[in-house]
Amino acid sequence: MSQFLPSPVTWPRLRASRLYCILLIIGVLCGGSCLLRASVALPALVTSDLDPKLKGHVLIEELKCAACHPAEAAVGERSKTAPRLAAIGSRVNPDYVQSLLLDPQAVHPGTTMPDVLSHLPAAEKSEVATALTHFLFSRQENDFSLRVPDAVAAGHGHRLFQARGCTACHSPRDASGVEVADAAFVPMGALERKYSFDSLVRFLRDPHASRPSGRMPDMRLPGQDLERIAHFLLQNTRVPGALGYTLYRGKVWEGLGSDEVKPERSGQVQDFNLKSLDDVHHHSAVVYTGWINLAAAGKYTFFLTLNGGSVQVDETVILEQAPSDRRGVKQLEAATELAAGRHRLSITYFHTGHEPSFSCELAGPQHARQPVPSSWLSASDEVIPVLAPLPVDAGLAARGREYFGKFGCASCHDDLGVSSLPAPALAGLDASRGCLSQERGPWPAFDLDDSQRELVARALPEASRLELDDRQKLEKSMVTFNCGACHERKGLSSLSPDRKALFTGSQPALGDQGRVPPPLSDAGAKLTKEWLRDVLLHGQRQRDYLDASMPQFGEANVGHLIDLFGQVDTLEAATLPPAPNILESKEAGYEMTGTTGFGCIACHTFNGQKSGEVSALDITQLPRRLQKNWFHLYMREPTRFHPTVIMPNYWPDGRSTRPTILGGDTTQQIEALWAYLEDGPRARKPLGLSRESNELRVGDVTEVCRGQSAAGYRGIAAGYPERLNLAFDSGEMALRQLWKGEFASVDYGSFSARGTDHISFPPGVPFHRLQSLEDNWPYKGKTNYSFPQDHGYQFRGYHLDASRRPSWLYQFGDISVQDYFEDVRDAKDQAYFKRTLRFDAPAGQLPFYFRAATGQTIVTHSEREFSSDRLRLRITSDHRGLVRPGDPGEVLILLSPPEGRSTLTLEYQW
Amino acid sequence: MVSIRQAAVAAMVFVPVLQAQEDLGAMWGTAAEEAKYYPLVDIPIPPGVPMRPGGFENLDDGRLAVSTRRGDIYFVKGAFETPPVPEYHLFSSGQDETFSLSWKDGAMTATSWGEVTRIADVDGDGVADRYDTLTNNWGYGEGHEFAFASKHDPEGNIWVALGLSGSYESNNLFRGWAVKVTPEGKMIPVCSGLRSPGGVGANAEGAMFVIESQGPWNGSCSLKHLKEGGFLGHPASYNWYPYAPGLTRPALEPRSDSRMGVEKKRVKELVPPAVRFPYIKMGRSISGFRLNTTGGQFGPFENQIFLGDYSLSVILRATTEQINGVWQGACYPFREGLATGIMNVEFSPRGQLIAGGFTTNSQWPVRGTEPFALQRIDWNGVMPFEIKEINITTNGFRITFTEPVDPQVAARPEVYGITTCTHVYDAGYGSPEVDQTTAIVTRAVPAIDGLSVSITLEKLIEDHIYEFDLTNVRSHEDRRLVHSNAYYTVNEIPKP
Repeated sequence: MSQFLPSPVTWPRLRASRLYCILLIIGVLCGGSCLLRASVALPALVTSDLDPKLKGHVLIEELKCAACHPAEAAVGERSKTAPRLAAIGSRVNPDYVQSLLLDPQAVHPGTTMPDVLSHLPAAEKSEVATALTHFLFSRQENDFSLRVPDAVAAGHGHRLFQARGCTACHSPRDASGVEVADAAFVPMGALERKYSFDSLVRFLRDPHASRPSGRMPDMRLPGQDLERIAHFLLQNTRVPGALGYTLYRGKVWEGLGSDEVKPERSGQVQDFNLKSLDDVHHHSAVVYTGWINLAAAGKYTFFLTLNGGSVQVDETVILEQAPSDRRGVKQLEAATELAAGRHRLSITYFHTGHEPSFSCELAGPQHARQPVPSSWLSASDEVIPVLAPLPVDAGLAARGREYFGKFGCASCHDDLGVSSLPAPALAGLDASRGCLSQERGPWPAFDLDDSQRELVARALPEASRLELDDRQKLEKSMVTFNCGACHERKGLSSLSPDRKALFTGSQPALGDQGRVPPPLSDAGAKLTKEWLRDVLLHGQRQRDYLDASMPQFGEANVGHLIDLFGQVDTLEAATLPPAPNILESKEAGYEMTGTTGFGCIACHTFNGQKSGEVSALDITQLPRRLQKNWFHLYMREPTRFHPTVIMPNYWPDGRSTRPTILGGDTTQQIEALWAYLEDGPRARKPLGLSRESNELRVGDVTEVCRGQSAAGYRGIAAGYPERLNLAFDSGEMALRQLWKGEFASVDYGSFSARGTDHISFPPGVPFHRLQSLEDNWPYKGKTNYSFPQDHGYQFRGYHLDASRRPSWLYQFGDISVQDYFEDVRDAKDQAYFKRTLRFDAPAGQLPFYFRAATGQTIVTHSEREFSSDRLRLRITSDHRGLVRPGDPGEVLILLSPPEGRSTLTLEYQW
Repeated sequence: MVSIRQAAVAAMVFVPVLQAQEDLGAMWGTAAEEAKYYPLVDIPIPPGVPMRPGGFENLDDGRLAVSTRRGDIYFVKGAFETPPVPEYHLFSSGQDETFSLSWKDGAMTATSWGEVTRIADVDGDGVADRYDTLTNNWGYGEGHEFAFASKHDPEGNIWVALGLSGSYESNNLFRGWAVKVTPEGKMIPVCSGLRSPGGVGANAEGAMFVIESQGPWNGSCSLKHLKEGGFLGHPASYNWYPYAPGLTRPALEPRSDSRMGVEKKRVKELVPPAVRFPYIKMGRSISGFRLNTTGGQFGPFENQIFLGDYSLSVILRATTEQINGVWQGACYPFREGLATGIMNVEFSPRGQLIAGGFTTNSQWPVRGTEPFALQRIDWNGVMPFEIKEINITTNGFRITFTEPVDPQVAARPEVYGITTCTHVYDAGYGSPEVDQTTAIVTRAVPAIDGLSVSITLEKLIEDHIYEFDLTNVRSHEDRRLVHSNAYYTVNEIPKP
């Protein structure tokens, strides 16, 4: 393993290793592309330091010996589940299935699928393989079809294939898609023979649907990443078409070589009609390439309508416009003498005006000026056959079904309602015969190498009565799922520098820790069970700066690891201080975290906000992830757990570098940090925490920002600790927006809501004396200059309570209003707003309406409870609501405040 | 050709690239000499503090208050120490961009785009908890609609100058007006005719002034008197008189392509700018200002106005005097070479001048290169030889110096190079200098103490700016002036 990074190699570099005997064949089956013949590839067996005895058991389980050879149920349960074949008709190319059946290792090097037909004579083998294929494609949809790869997306996909961590298990590939690394990777072969773009994306989106074994994990990538990776892996797919194109965006008038111009997408179209390209935005260029087949020799004239562009036939540029000329729509023509036959054609169109305008016509010796017919054009100079669905022959399919049982396929692929006869029981098998021998016979041929055979042979006698302790169980599972491809673990796996070099990240200042997934040594003593569960089963992660994603293997496959980690990994108990004064402790933790203490926030993100250049792990998330005991041990000596850790030791030799805090007591100080950070995102913001970020985060108190926004120029937003947010329009004194989650992005004089579940309210004041229910609710029109003061309104500001929740203050005529929102949780722990409007009124107020909610769909649950679209509104004081239909509909509450203080209370839940 | 307000919102508006490359003019070349008397001191800003200073105020406890574009107010301890050892305490946050602060009776009155707010810490934890809006009754609904405000006047009012909509139109209530806001929150319209105002404040006599920017109806930047009931030159804001009880719309509108001296005789409400600042020579986007009442701690320029310039990163001086009931006066170069675009200034209790501001992330031209800065100008006690003040007389000017002049040199009329010009008063953007003349000094009489010289001119012309070039004047110790130029705006000629 000397070089993994993609390099311009056109031939796979192959090397025999201790365990892998790799044969190279030129695959006649593969349409001329080269494939390698390999033995069964289980890289973790090579790279890990697992006990060899256990490696044998891993092999027995991965090869599914117990599928044919009856054994204790436990062996079967531990064994891999074979791919589900029910929906193969839309997933896999039928040619590939047939080829794979004929020679699995040649077509999918390293596959654990055995050759079950190896003993048959060639003709019979071919007949059986065909029948099996017809059987498989007779099951459900048989609609496998190809799509032209997008070379631009493939370029991005190449980067993502490595960055997202695919190359932790699969060989890195060069730009042309050829696997460049040697043995210790899971080879995939030429995927364009197997998958279509659609089927590969579908597979990557939910690999466990067809492969419930979880050996291929769900990488939980965004759809665009998956599609780009699929375009990369399938870049050699060939589909017939008339013209290839690449669409560029940017300052195209500077030429396509400019840094300011980026390719956007590529593909194939049938003609030069721009409409075939979907949206062509301005500042675009299209490069068409293809071959034109001319029936007769003679003078050919191209007629072009365009802003700018060029035409090249074979090696000759027959028309080109200087960049400065590429403005305005022009009619151009260029003539050239061409021989009959095929000519390479390249036409570039620069779209620099407002409306795209392009046409390409051709006049020749045998025809007048006309658009170039698609039938003359070909995207490739080779003839590419159209892929037709396999015409399933019912007779063949029926025979295939028999073969599927007869040759044991159904033993592993047990989802098709076919069964196979069992083989001799696993216990008492003779390792020198049958599958494990090198003989060919009526048994599956596994292409094991000698050492693999030996591992199985040694493990076989005890396979049926295997007793493993927790550590063995844990380590065996970690090898089965190749955890060591990313994570080091003492005694089990380590990453060579070459392999580490494959990982990338966005925080170079963090060194390897900013690129390489974290080690799992002592993981069970370090991480809380809840966090392990979140990571293993819900894809949670804290290290956003790692490009690699945390794969998901499925609860059925790795759920047992959560407990095993805790049972296996134990560390000594740290010295904890005698019960400290919790308030004093938190205060000290607050002090130590800020810039006047240890300055933790100089490197660590705090509740999503970073202060320095580095953004190491968010420390408000620590108590969610870490066990307290480990925190104490780690803080005392970080290098014990991470020899190259960047974090300094603040208590060298157990003595604090801040002797004035808590009397300089080391354990008290570490405990204080823990006590402080235990409040998580609600921990008080430490001193020196940067406010430079445009994102305003809410901690333990309400945050306020104001300015131009969706709530008007005089909008004020308040973000509450329960992750509820609102925007109040201080111009019209009305609630304008509610949302949940992240608070706001702030800029100079403006803000915008972040988060989710946004609810907007239309413009207009809160109270109004409607003369009739037909009257419009008043709001400020463009020339309503004195509004809403002319309706008696006057904004008076806001006061903050102890948690800095604002009470909005305003006048409505003679009535003083205090309008207070409180973020509270209900019995089900759901946060909602409680709103209290306090009126201080002189005597003799005429009644008026309060508009409590508006929406397209308002449902009345009772006279005190309404649903307005997604918002649930409850009146909890002695008032009643009424619904006024309209666009939008309104929930109005009639108010008639008595002299003195009165109160209206509401709840907003959404 | 642009205003300070445009500069501050340049992040929000599209500025053509060509404008951004406009020439900022040559440096005065006096920075090294200025530094001998008025050294610049940087007040460090720790990383993580989003400090884009907009307004300043002194607190009773000796701390400096700074408001920012982000809507924060910081209380800074140690800013006046030498060297400064500032500690930043966040007093309040969550306001709109705030360019004006005034501390009174234990509360901070802050003026931001949309309102005047009295901010107080009632529970005593050092962080504000009450934001009482005094008024938000002016229209605010477009870009450029800045609000700059004064300190409290003796009656406790805050005077607010409201920029035009987009700096050209008046589409929302009272845009282009100055208003005053009483301690009870009553908003009283004062005068119309502003374009894109900057700082607001009083001169030594208590008259309230505003900084105005070059643009339509403004040939150059200027210092304008906020005369109650007056019209300050830009007619876009005429439409709000119906909303201003007690004020009457002027009967006439000013004519374009005219002269201020002509139009002020037609439109009787028209108040000519008190001090005009010739473009580039005396700033390009003048901003906040403050009266020097430091009791001599800042040197010889007591009771004079000090102001910053955003584009040129300089500090200027201005003096005012009332002639025939009309304010006029002069401006003088003071200090160049500040680090960033200067938005505002303030005198510390120790007589230091605090200056600060920012640049925007658009292509807006600012000579200072720092994205933001807080700086201090200290007087080191060494007396510079400067023009202290120029006052008009019935037949010429009296020029006061900070040091006695060489009386023999100063008595020679040819020592005084004086030219004049004015601007076109026009709806177009800015004005070239026009109607140039060269003044003829007929007599120069130094005072006995040598600290001033009275010069007599052949004639004085109303509505002209007098540009003084005193390069050849020498002090009694044969020193040259640190700055040899000054610019006096003649609105009125004193009656004998």
